Formats: sequence, structure tokens, C-alpha cells
Amino acid sequence: MAFWSTFFLVWGPGRRGVMRNLKVVKPGSFAVTNLFRCYRVFWNYAWTIADNVRFKELRTIPDWEFIGWEHFQEMQSREGAILLTAHMGSYDLGAHLFSETSTRRIVMVRAPEADPKTREFEEHHGAGGLRVEFNVRATELALDLLENVRNGDIVAIQGDRVTGSISSLPATLFGKPTTVPAGPFALALAARVPIYPVFVMRLGRRRYRLMTSRPIEITRSRNRDEDFARAVEQWTAELERVVSECWFQWFTFEPYWPEPAT
Amino acid sequence: MTMNVVIDRPEARWLPSRHRFALARLIAYIRLRFDRPSAAQPEHLILPIDRDQTAAEMNCVAVWVLATTTCYVAASLPFRLPLSLVLAIPLAAIVIHLPVVTIGPLVRLVMGDGNNIGILSVITMGLLLIASSYAVTTTSWARFAAWLFFGVLAVNCAAAVILWLLRGAVRAGEEQCVR
Repeated sequence: MAFWSTFFLVWGPGRRGVMRNLKVVKPGSFAVTNLFRCYRVFWNYAWTIADNVRFKELRTIPDWEFIGWEHFQEMQSREGAILLTAHMGSYDLGAHLFSETSTRRIVMVRAPEADPKTREFEEHHGAGGLRVEFNVRATELALDLLENVRNGDIVAIQGDRVTGSISSLPATLFGKPTTVPAGPFALALAARVPIYPVFVMRLGRRRYRLMTSRPIEITRSRNRDEDFARAVEQWTAELERVVSECWFQWFTFEPYWPEPAT
Repeated sequence: MTMNVVIDRPEARWLPSRHRFALARLIAYIRLRFDRPSAAQPEHLILPIDRDQTAAEMNCVAVWVLATTTCYVAASLPFRLPLSLVLAIPLAAIVIHLPVVTIGPLVRLVMGDGNNIGILSVITMGLLLIASSYAVTTTSWARFAAWLFFGVLAVNCAAAVILWLLRGAVRAGEEQCVR
């Protein structure tokens, strides 16, 4: 706790990033209130890391509660699907849960890992039935993922944040313009599979909730941009609802919305 | 390593097997036996059977150990009581972790890599027992914390005896729950 509190005080950019995001998520809130909220975000993040390490080293798993169980089951019974999630809770624990409860293979797409040792650790300490794909070769990866979905796998992608030079789609979150990754939507359109918004949330010590929402179906029309816009709107509405309720679980340490030019 | 889990049985939260200390296991057994499940339950539930799973028990023990250690550290500081207590809280947190970082490497040398949490917990509790045995012989106010420590230990021992006497009923209750 002391270590993490020190980390909270020392890591100014992360703290300021969360504070700025909270200002948008909780409009009209006082800065001092958001400072305490920011600490809660850091606190939850610390526990999530601890739970991850406990799982990887000791295989300790938490209690799991499910919301939207019918959608979760529907996703598992389909021949291929896309699982769209956000930077919340613990994806390692979530992936382990999937590998234990699902007959389908999970392919998890992650941002490139710069440190080769960390990458090796991630690859060897994950859950069984799970394959991690680092997003380093965009074109090749897209083709691989398309094949995975067509083979009946579930492809898990984080859809709340655009990092690096990956292609994006315009969106509106909390009434402010932003962008979301285009990949999951393009993949869903190409593979003709639905997107299932899934969120992993930490409720307390060794207690997690997995929430699956109504699937997002991308229907093909003559106007592809409109097809994407409808799907993105549905996704951001879901993301906004979940982040509003569980802002303390949204681990976005950089400013999410760019500062308006003065 | 595999772990047993109970699926869609909310009452399994009170399985004695999901608790570490005898007193907590006894309370869990009583709740398992007499509690009625509440109407608001999640659509699907997975509960692992792990002795360290229950937050309330673990948090209570953590607070109890920290409070007892704080008393001992505060009593040994040469300042007035309020200042000593304020200083003792962070110092106690450091003192509690000292056995982990000093004895931990030795345990690792002897036992090798792996889950040595059990051994380190026994060593930490053993050191607290030694400290309490010393504090109880002194004339300082910390002796009351030491008496409380031994009181809790005595209650836990009594709970262990009751659980041993009820072992058949406890096993039957658990089997009924997980069936």
C-alpha cells in the first residue's frame, strides 16, 4: 500500500492523465474529489496487477460473477466471434476464465511489448487455450485473425484506445470527439461475425465480474462508412455506460481526449 | 495446478473450506447451515475452493496483526503516546515485512522456488507470538494488546476444538452444498 501510494505521488503524468479523464467522465466534479478518485483508480490497478501475478505464479483464481450470461453463452456457441473489451480489470484472469469455460480457442491481440523478457514471460505464463498475438505486423496479423475467426476462434481485442499508427474510426465518448481502433469493426465486417462487448471488473479482494453485452451486428450496405459509424456508436454507448458506472476500473493513464488547441 | 470450484451455488461462499482460521471456519459453517440465500444473485457464479479466498477474514487478520504490532512498536518508542502511535503505524508496516525480506531468501534457499507463503506466514505469526509473550511480561500499556492477542488465540483454539467435534457435520454440510 505504501509502495503504491508512493508510486501514485511520484508518477505525475499518469496521475494527471487519469485526473483529466475523470474531469470528462464526471463533469462538474471538484479537482480534490477527482484526486481521491484518481487514487482509487491506482489502487484498483495495483490490486489487478497483484491478482495477475498471483494467478501467473500460484494459479490462484478469484470468485467470478457473470452478468449477461446468455450473451456470453451465445458467443461461445457461435462459429467465431470478436470479443471487444476495454482497459479494465484483468485480461489475464479473464482469458484464463475463457480457456476454462470455453471450448473455443481465444486469440488475444495485444499492443507490442517492447521488452523481450516481458514478452517471453507473457507468452509462457498465460492461460491454456489462449494465444497471444502482439500487434507488430498489422497487415499479416489482420489476415491471421480473419483466418482465426473463420476457423471458429474468438478474437479478443481492446477497443477503447488507439495506440501508435493503427487505423482508427471517429467516435464520440462522453460528448467529446475521439477515435477507436478500426480493426475489430473491419474484421467483423470481413468475417461476417458479431462483436460482443465484454468487460472484466474487479469488485473487491479476489472478486471479479464479467459483463457481456448485447452483440453488435455490422450489417453490410452500400455505404461502408455508415455501417462502421452505426457499429462504433453502439460500442461507444456501451463503453460510456460501463465507464460511467465503473470509472475506478478504467485504466487509462494518458489523457484520452486531446487538449483542444488554444 | 488445478483448483476445485463450485458453480452456481451462492451459499458456497460460506463453505468452511474457503476460510483459513478455525474461528472463521466455524462462523462460516454456522452461516452455511442457517443462512437463507438472498434473492439478488448473479446470473452465473464460479467460486473457487481456496482457504485464503474470503476477504473479510483476511482483512480482519491483517488489521489485527497490524494493530497489535503498532502497539508494540509504539510502546517501545521514546515519545509521548499520540506521537508514538502516529509514528508506529508506518514503522509497524515495515516491521511486519522484515521477516519476509530477511527470512524469505533463506526459506527460498532451503525450499527452492515456489509457494512458500505458508512457511513465511507461520514464521511471521511465530515472531508475533514471541513479541506478545515478551510484551505480556512488561508493565507497559502494550501488555493489554498482548493479552488481547492471546485471547484471540484462545478463542481460535476453542473454535478448532468445536470444529473437530463437529467434523462429521461440517463435512456433510460441505458435501451437500457442492453436490
